[in-house]
Order: sequence, then structure tokens, then C-alpha cells
Amino acid sequence: MSKAVNKPAEKKVSVFSKPGSQKLIVLLVVIALFVFFSVFSTNFRKYTTVLSIMDYSYYIVLMAIGVTFPLITGGVDLSIGTGLICYSLAGGYLIVHCGWPTWAGMLVAVLFGVLIGTLNGVLVSIMNLPPFLATLCTCMITRGLGSICSKGFGISWPTSGSEGSWFRDIFKVTIGGTKYPLGFLWVLILVAVMAFVLNHTKIGRYTIAIGSNKEATTLSGINVKFYHIMAYVISGFFAGLASIAYSAVFSTVQPGTGAGFELEAIGGAIIGGVSASGGSGTIGGSLLGVFVICLLKTGLPYIGLQANWQQIITGMVLIGAVMVDILKKKKTETV
Amino acid sequence: MKKKVLAAVMSVAMIATLLAGCGGKSEGTAALAEEKKEEAAPAEEKKEEASTETAGGNYKFEIIVKSYQSSYWQAAVTGVNQAAEELGVTVSCTGPNAESDIADQVNMLNSAINNAPDGIGLAACDQDACLDALQTAMDKGIPVVCFDSGIPKAPAGSVLSTIATDNYGAGATAADNLYAALKDKIANATAPVRIGEVNQEATSESITSRGLGFIDKFTELATADGKSVAVIGNEYYVNNCKNAGDEASADIIIEVAVPAQTTVELCATEASVILNKEDTIGMFGSNQVAAEGILTANGNLGVLGCDAAAGDILAAGFDAGSVIKSAIKDGTMFGAVTQSPLAMGIKTVETLTAIANGETVSDIPTDGYWYDSTNMEDASIAPNLYD
Repeated sequence: MSKAVNKPAEKKVSVFSKPGSQKLIVLLVVIALFVFFSVFSTNFRKYTTVLSIMDYSYYIVLMAIGVTFPLITGGVDLSIGTGLICYSLAGGYLIVHCGWPTWAGMLVAVLFGVLIGTLNGVLVSIMNLPPFLATLCTCMITRGLGSICSKGFGISWPTSGSEGSWFRDIFKVTIGGTKYPLGFLWVLILVAVMAFVLNHTKIGRYTIAIGSNKEATTLSGINVKFYHIMAYVISGFFAGLASIAYSAVFSTVQPGTGAGFELEAIGGAIIGGVSASGGSGTIGGSLLGVFVICLLKTGLPYIGLQANWQQIITGMVLIGAVMVDILKKKKTETV
Repeated sequence: MKKKVLAAVMSVAMIATLLAGCGGKSEGTAALAEEKKEEAAPAEEKKEEASTETAGGNYKFEIIVKSYQSSYWQAAVTGVNQAAEELGVTVSCTGPNAESDIADQVNMLNSAINNAPDGIGLAACDQDACLDALQTAMDKGIPVVCFDSGIPKAPAGSVLSTIATDNYGAGATAADNLYAALKDKIANATAPVRIGEVNQEATSESITSRGLGFIDKFTELATADGKSVAVIGNEYYVNNCKNAGDEASADIIIEVAVPAQTTVELCATEASVILNKEDTIGMFGSNQVAAEGILTANGNLGVLGCDAAAGDILAAGFDAGSVIKSAIKDGTMFGAVTQSPLAMGIKTVETLTAIANGETVSDIPTDGYWYDSTNMEDASIAPNLYD
């Protein structure tokens, strides 16, 4: 009698290997944080606090949507933070000091972002520089460029009520005495659009393919160089959009600032499920991950924690997120 | 084998140049600072182009500002260049990107010393970080003049003059005006009230002096009227003010917030917390960044105004800039204290030239003025209100 055929090993389906599980975990974390702060601080529960959280998050969310693409290819884009400030200074300088109409300044900011994004893409894809190094260099370049564009001055985009300030209304609109975070609507639309792009268009699918296995993708005859560059162009484009969001919320843009913004966007994307080594990630996840960071940033002061503790706790949450990511990978590999 | 030899040779060469360039100190941040200095170079070159058009240029001075973060420093640099042109000297202006980039500034100071100028003008980001460099400057016979922020613990004889606003007095001026407007509300209050103070950091002399000046003066005025005051929040200010009081029994609570970095977003977040509290009746931002942070936070809350009796929170700011000026004009911000950055820049170069000419110099306090919607157009105030 032949030995019984070995049964195929039981497939262990852990909670970590289910698709979308990380997003669910992050959503729960967002809700938990919100509840926690609301319980411990009466002032946190106000509608105006929610408005503030939204306002202060737009520029990070937009950066995170864009940077998800280079992250999925296994790379990174460190230039979005200082780049954001540079594009805002450039556009703002044209509006304030050269008399250009606001929409033209906005267009210049976004196009500048696309330009630097293309530069990043070329450095990484064609000249084969490691993404970390290439984008670190463009980060330093944009830092100095911003100062040059504005001749060293800080720039205030048209303030509310003055001529040309309609762009601020894109993000917040007052109807009948109450302010509504209109910007959140645009963010949701952009998330939906970019999620569609990521999952159902060539650009998105090939970005994921490059991140999963660049060799195989190249051997399949796909123009890897082009799609690799496109990932960084998208990141630059969204950095341009983020620069407009930043200028709309904050009164003055100062040269030399911006370093550190990219870490919040990248941290948010990773918390939201983008794999640190590339190959997987969702736009919705990035959105939720950024909200975790923004909630921590805005909420921790409400429970009386001094600034330095806020940074420590945010760092610990990020470590937690990366560990979940690694555990998830381990579980799926032991199938 | 060849590759290894080549790599070893290049590493040795690199380390040797680093050591030589840093004057023997091998700091880990040296390489990064070199790159950061190169970024500051484009800004620096522009300033040099402006000032080397003068004829003669007998003396060469190095001016290091606190940062290029606000228009206050641009006004100071304008003053520096103006005086340089009039006196026929050459100036080279540099500064770190942000006022929290303390290590950058120390490296810039060391580089400036190595350039062997005829004098150095310095606005220190951190009062304690520059002490070693100042000793080196004194040993090399380079006179140093401090402007905007003094260095109280400087080695004796290294700093020949400090040209600054009496920052402690400026903070007190803000307290005077804010208290006068809130006096009735405080006297009639049945429960403890709160005054918020946002300081962008707790390291530089100018910010800490203003913050403490405000706290001490407000406490003095309130105590004279029979009210008790407690100071809570950031440890530096609580520990260094004259009397931190007892929170549980105080009539007035002064809450001091300091963000992790000197940026508008973080100041806005800290300001939001205090503005959201029900018992807050007044706010003070001790420089342009903090004041703009308070205004940004108010964008969603709409609690600031000039009518204390009607429930508005009165906010006092510092410095000028287009955002603060328009907020004061339209009544959102109660008022602010302005300095004279232009005069400060001019006097810095004048003093350095005087030292180089062999004259003796002393400290020059420049004035800080309170301005609000009633007097901001006055001839004595307006020129200091830069954009």
C-alpha cells in the first residue's frame, strides 16, 4: 500500500496576509487616536479642531499621494519637502513682485514641480543613481533655488480678502457663517483618481511591476525607463499641488524651510501600507497613514505634551508601522 | 588590489582636506555643513555683488545673520549693505536657513574666522554654542560685534559691542499694553483666566529675553492689582521667570508654548491649543514667526480681536511683515512691538568700521516701539515697519 499522498500543507491565512488588512488597521488607529484625544481633551472635540487638522494636512496628503509612486518602485523622493517651498516661492514671487495673475503663479508652481520630478526621474532611471542619493541632491538644489527665486525674501501669497486670494477658497469655503473644509473633497477626488491610475492604467500597473521585479518587467519588453521616470514626474506634480495647498493655508512661505516635510509624507505612506522595499501600496492607505501623523502632530499638544515628546511618540508609531509591514511580509512568505 | 589602494589614497586625501578645512576639528557634521554652506553661497554671492560695487573697500567684514527666515533679517541685511556702500567697506553676509540650525551657524562662524576679516558681525542663534568660536576669534585678533541677540557669557573682551533692542524691555512693553487693555476683564473675572505665550524657541537671547520680559512684567502688573499669577508650560521659561506661582490657586495662568522647530506650522499648532481653551483672554507671540503662527491658528477659530469686553482674545505680536501689518490694520491683531532692524544693520557696520579705525566702542541699544492700528502710520513708527 502506497503511503498516503502528503496532503498539501495547510495554507495559513493570517490576518496580515489578507489584502487591504493594513488599511483597515490604520483606519482603526485613526479612529482610536481621534477618540483618545477627544476623551482626554475637551477642546479637541470642537469642529474648529477638525478644520485645523484638515487645513494643516492638505500639503502633506498631496505630497504623500505623489510620493507613493516612487516608493512603490522601490525608490524614494526626498526632494518634495524643500521642493514644495521652492515652487511656492517661485510662483509667489511672480504673483507678488511681478504682478502675474494668481492662476499663472499656480501654474508655474506646478510646472516647476513637474520639471524637478522629471529631473529626478532621469537621474534615477537613465543615469542609474540610487534614488535616495539623487533625490537628496535635488532636495539640496531646490532648497537653494527657492532662495534665489525669491531673492532671499519670504513670500506671502495674496492674503484673504485681497485681490487674487480666490485660491484660498479652493480649500476652505464659508457658507452661511460656517467654514467647510472644501479641500478635503478635492483630496478625496484626487485619491480616487490616483487609485484608479495605480490599479487600472498602464502607468500604475507598470510602476508596481517595476517595484516588484524590475528585471522581469524589462525582459517583458516594457519601456521601463519611461515608466520609472513617470513615477517621479507624478511625485513632482503632486509636490507642486502641495505647494499651492501650503501657500493657501499658511500666511508666509520662508526660504530655507521645508526640510522634514518629506519625512512626514513618506512616513505617512509607509504607515498606510506602502512597502518600504517597493512593490505594493495603496493611495487610500497613504491618505490614512498621513492622517495618523497629522492627528499625532495636532492632537498631542492638546493633552499637554511638550513638543519634544510629540516627536518621540510619532517616531515610535512609525517604527510600529514598519514592523507591521515586515511581519506582514514574513507571514505571506511562509505560505 | 589597485582599487583598494586607490580607495585608501582617496579616503586619506579626503580626510586630510577635511581636517585642514576644519582647522583640526573633525566634526561629523563638517561634510554636511560644507554642502549647506555652498547652498548659502548663492544667497551670499548676491549680497556680495551688491556691496563690492563700492570704490575702495578698505575693510572686509563678515556678517552672519540668524537666518534668512523672515523679512526682519532681510531688512537688517539691507541696512548692512546700505552702510557698507556709504562707508566704502566690503561686507559678506551669510546665515543658516532656519533659526534652529545652530550647528550650521557655528560652522559659518568658524569659516568666517578662517577668512581673516577685519571684523565679524554676529546674530547668534544660540547664546552658548558660539563661545569656543568667539575665543578663537579673540585669539586671532578679530573683533566681534553682536547684533539683535547678545551673548551674555561671551569670553571677556571677545565681543566689543552689542547692538540690540533691549529685548527684555520690549517684552515688557508688550505686557504693558496688553495688560492695560485686559485690566478690566481680569479685575471682573470670577474664574481663572489664561494668557498664552508662543516663543519659537528657548535658546536665543532675543527670544528668551522677550518671553521672560513679558511674563515678569505681566506678573508684576497683575500682582500690583491684587491678582495671583502662575506660569506653566515650557520648562525653560517656567524655571527662569521671577515667580512661577501656583497653578491651583492662581487668578491668571500664563501658559508658555515652544514648538519643536522654529516653523510657522508648528507655532500654529501650539497656538491652536491655547486659543481653543475657554479661559484664554490674551496671546503674545515673541517674534514674527510666532505671531504669524498665532494668526494662522486663528484662521479657523476666529477668536482674535480688539474688544476684550465682547469676548475677543487680544493678541500682541512682534516685528512687522505684511501679514502682521494687515492683521493689525483690520483689527485681528491688537498690536505689536517692532524693532529697528534697518538701524541695527547700519549701526553694526558703522561700529565695525569704527573698531577697525581704532576707536573705542560701547553697546548700542536700539529702540523697540509698540504699534497698533492707531499709530502705525506715524512718521516715527512707519519706517521700521518693513514688509
